[in-house]
Amino acid sequence: MKNKKIKEFLLFALFVFPAVIFVLFATDIPFVMNLYYSVFDWNGVGREMTFVGLDNFVKIFTNDSLFWKGVKFTLKFAVFYVIIVNAISLVVALVMSKEKKSSSVGRAFYYIPYIISLTAISLIWKFIFGPGFEALYNITGWEFFNWSWVGTPKLAFWVVVIMAVWQNVGFYMVNYIAGIIAVPKELIEAAKIDGANAFQVFRKITVPLIMPAVSICMLTSLTFAFKLFDIIMVFTKGGPANSTVSVAYNIYKEAFVNSKYGLATAKSLVFVVFVLIVTAIQLKVTKSKEVEA
Amino acid sequence: MSKILKKIKKINPLAVIVFICSIFWLMPLILIFINSFKPYNDMLQHFLALPKSWSLDMYIETWTKFNFPMLIKNTLLYTVCTVLMIVLLAPMAAYKLARTKSKMSGICFVLIIMPMMVPFQSYMITLTRLVANVNLTGTKMGQILVSIGLCMPLAVYMIHGFVKNVPLELEECACIDGASKIRTYFSIVLPLLKPILTTVVVLDTLATWNDIITNQLIVGGNARAMNIQNALYMQFSAQTADWEHALPGIVMSMIPSLIFFVAMQKHIVGGVTAGAVKG
Repeated sequence: MKNKKIKEFLLFALFVFPAVIFVLFATDIPFVMNLYYSVFDWNGVGREMTFVGLDNFVKIFTNDSLFWKGVKFTLKFAVFYVIIVNAISLVVALVMSKEKKSSSVGRAFYYIPYIISLTAISLIWKFIFGPGFEALYNITGWEFFNWSWVGTPKLAFWVVVIMAVWQNVGFYMVNYIAGIIAVPKELIEAAKIDGANAFQVFRKITVPLIMPAVSICMLTSLTFAFKLFDIIMVFTKGGPANSTVSVAYNIYKEAFVNSKYGLATAKSLVFVVFVLIVTAIQLKVTKSKEVEA
Repeated sequence: MSKILKKIKKINPLAVIVFICSIFWLMPLILIFINSFKPYNDMLQHFLALPKSWSLDMYIETWTKFNFPMLIKNTLLYTVCTVLMIVLLAPMAAYKLARTKSKMSGICFVLIIMPMMVPFQSYMITLTRLVANVNLTGTKMGQILVSIGLCMPLAVYMIHGFVKNVPLELEECACIDGASKIRTYFSIVLPLLKPILTTVVVLDTLATWNDIITNQLIVGGNARAMNIQNALYMQFSAQTADWEHALPGIVMSMIPSLIFFVAMQKHIVGGVTAGAVKG
């Protein structure tokens, strides 16, 4: 009997442990290391680590204007990004959800930016906003192209929004299309027979029934916005004048540029709590609005 | 005549706008492509025009100057190793976890799924620290191990959901026939998982090929272990970029993803929807 149990365990270990070990190494252990480093003052290289207790956390909440500037930027980005990206992708999805050859080509066009790498995206936009706009200004003479898009704080914010929206619309579009296709055709036909116009059908039937897709898209776009990092790291690097430093980029900079590992790990923990709370609230709110067909 | 008018009336103006916009959406890529054939002066003076000649000289120069063969070899190595290990290990773990009801199984599942809830950015600093501690910074091995670990959670999660719908009877039949547990897995269960495995392979191939953040963090500036994205980024993200080489470089780095996209379009689109539940 005991023999059988051991055999069973060995089989389980053989199947499951390799995967667990990889995940432990790449994610779980580093995450737990945060807890340890966050109570030290440490530059990341030297041997000297001073135990400072909760000082790092106190510092974040009382004496760290750049971090809070990052929070403000991230929240502002989140508001504009979530609204714009969801509005565009929902409209595109409504048109593209028809089963036609033209829609599948159109879908691909919107989707392609999502499958190319961030390096390509950042270099492409760097080219467009740099030499591209210069050339367009020479052709059209519109002042709009002559603005220093990447060099002015106010415009740099919109550069980040434009890039993020351009890259991700395809992803949300696909999710909305999956939701729209699942709406039963009979319901729509019945409503049309009863004399509802296109807008009424959309408002009263499509919208309530695609609420699950809406909640997924809202949730993923919101968490994407809070985690905004990649575009900042490869494109603006937080500039100009720290105007595009997101929370995640602030943490990265604290560790790798300012060499304050302890403080950076403490910030990471604050960041996790922040993201989890927002996710939980969002999930609760959108779940309550879903209806069954 | 009235028939045509009727047809025009039937066309939805919204659809027209969306379709025109789709071309604008692709515009940046088209502009990059046509400008990659021009000398720098032409880019500025004839930005929107087609190039005067479609000569591949700059492409060939970029290919050799930035050592593309090695970059592609590295990127392929990372992609192939990651995808192979994921395909081998993720379904094994997911299958066993879904079929075992014990405390141990629950703990292992949580350990694997946990990273899907916390953002990568919150542990990337300590991850680079850990990689440095085990002396893997700047090595290909380090990049591969981390890449596998980062792709694993979503893969296991997706397969786990799928395995729950595979009927138990099939496995029981195999058991009665005297097949060992391991053989049952490889000959009965694994083939049944093919649809979800395709999705996983597609998602992870794209993710590893396009990865730049992990490569930046783990490999950094070590030229010998850089992948193609990281190398292009290091070369051309300086203040004044050398666009004559950068544009062909970008185009060449995108071609594999684009071919892959065209070939696997159905799976990519389906897979993304399946993976969307990830927070």
